[in-house]
This record gives sequence, structure tokens and C-alpha cells, in this order.
Amino acid sequence: MASNVSAEFPRPRMLIHPGNAEPVRIRSRQAAQARHVRLALQPGLTLFEALVRPLAAMGIHNASTTILGGVFSELHFCVAPPDPTGRAVIAYTQPISAGRCTLIFGNATMGKDTRGQPLVHCHAALRTETGEVRGGHVVPQLAVVGSDPIPVLVTSLEGFELRVSFDNETNIPLLQPNTELPHG
Amino acid sequence: MDETRVVESGSMGRVAYARIAPNEDLVLGVEKLCLSEGFRNAFVRGALGSLVDACLRTPDGRYLHVKGPAVEIVSLAGEVRSALDGSVRAALTGVVADTEGKVYGGPFVAGSNPICMTFEVTLEEWLPDL
Repeated sequence: MASNVSAEFPRPRMLIHPGNAEPVRIRSRQAAQARHVRLALQPGLTLFEALVRPLAAMGIHNASTTILGGVFSELHFCVAPPDPTGRAVIAYTQPISAGRCTLIFGNATMGKDTRGQPLVHCHAALRTETGEVRGGHVVPQLAVVGSDPIPVLVTSLEGFELRVSFDNETNIPLLQPNTELPHG
Repeated sequence: MDETRVVESGSMGRVAYARIAPNEDLVLGVEKLCLSEGFRNAFVRGALGSLVDACLRTPDGRYLHVKGPAVEIVSLAGEVRSALDGSVRAALTGVVADTEGKVYGGPFVAGSNPICMTFEVTLEEWLPDL
């Protein structure tokens, strides 16, 4: 059963990951202040291009963003069932096409991959053309902004950076806050 | 904080980003983040990640349990407030998607939303005018 309603408080489950649990459970960084930007994702661009290029042009390389909703002419997303190979607890599925759809609400984090290149991690709720509401991990390079610009509220993260690094515990690469390295 | 005030003016202060590790609780994790960063009041400015299973409060006071792993957090909004008893309390609400992409929504129940792989959260400190 995928879901159920009960009057009893459900006992949480803790999963065993492939690697040992790190003693530090919350890795955080702070900055004295954030810059806020209202960005309009431009029609025809991918979510990745529409977020990364204009922000990089104003010197923002790390940010937390809220996508306020709009129509994508094409969008693919993944869900995360258990990993059949056992390499990790879960593994993303192949991208599932949502076709032309309305993004109801989404959050996207912008940081850097292991090589220092821009990376966008986005989760969102969507409504398909047939009215079905779905959600998951949006593939930013495969999501194309529809005919109208889509507003995004950007909160910049400065003085530290978000970079993908291999996480021994989960056995997958993950975004982590780190000391800032030179851009490039 | 005085929760009887209708309008609370203030300003945004510091901003913090965190990665919270597996098996930590979503709601309590956000509260611990505030304690470690020294935020007394904060708004969530961005959040995404996954849960082992999700637990959302229903309008009639019961628990909606969404089975994973993983249940993806696809939307999250909320705040953290300091209380007069010297505690901090996060109130988080959102939408989650199960392993088939089916969605569910509601307030997250503290203590029953263990993180699956990772949870990325950005908090902005709220500084109420005195």
C-alpha cells in the first residue's frame, strides 16, 4: 500500500545505507545577507539555461530558488524507487516525460558539479495536460520553458559554495556546502 | 515570540544553507539547524530532498503515511519561531511524491519524517522589530 491514514502516530523507519553514518548530521554554512532577485525564465530555453546564464552574468553561482509556477512545453522528471542493484538505498528512474505541463511549484538549487561546472537540482509538482498531478525530480536540461516567461524568486548564497561531492554514507554524489573555491 | 500580534514588522537577516543527512527528522532537523546557526526565527526559502516515508497531518487530526523509499519532497514552505518557553518550533507544510510520482500534501508531522538520501534547505533569518 502506497499510503494510508491512521489515528496512530507512525513509527519512523531508519534505513541502513551502504556506508557508515557520518557523525555530523547537519552540514551548514551561513552568510551575513542574501541578495534577492526576481528572474523571468525565458521562453524556449531549458530550465538549466534560463536559470544559470542570467544569474552567472550577475555573479551569482550558488542560489536557492523558488519557481513560482508556469507552463513548460516539455518536461521530464524522475522518481526514486529502491535501487535494485543495492549500490544505494534508492536510484532515480529513467526520465519520465510529462509532455507539455504546468509546473505548480518547484524549488531549484544552483551549485557546481564535481568539475566546478554549474549544476541545478530541482524538485517540483506538476499538472499534466490531462489534469493529472505528479511530482518528482525535474531534469533541468530536458525542461523547456513554454511561450510565457516563468517567474522565479532567487535567494543568492554567497561567501560559500554548493558543490557536488561523493557521499560515502549514501554511496552517491550529493550537493554539500563548502568553502568557496575560485570560479571556473 | 508574541504569537498574538496580527502584524509583525521586521527584516531579513542572515541566510543559511544546510545539507541534512539520512535518517534525521525533517522538522526536528530544521529546528536543530536554527539552533546551530543561532537563528531564533526564520523562513524556509528553498528546500528539496527525499524522505524514507512521509507523514502528514490530516485535517481531522490523523496521520497520512506515504510509503517509500523514497518519497520526494517537491514543495515545502514554512517557518521557525522561537517560543516563550525557550524552544524553537518549525512548522513545515508541503507536497510530496511517492515512488510512482503520485502526490500528497499537508503539514509535516515532527518526528515522523526521516530523511532518505539528503535534504537541502535554505533558511533566511527573520528579525522582528521590537
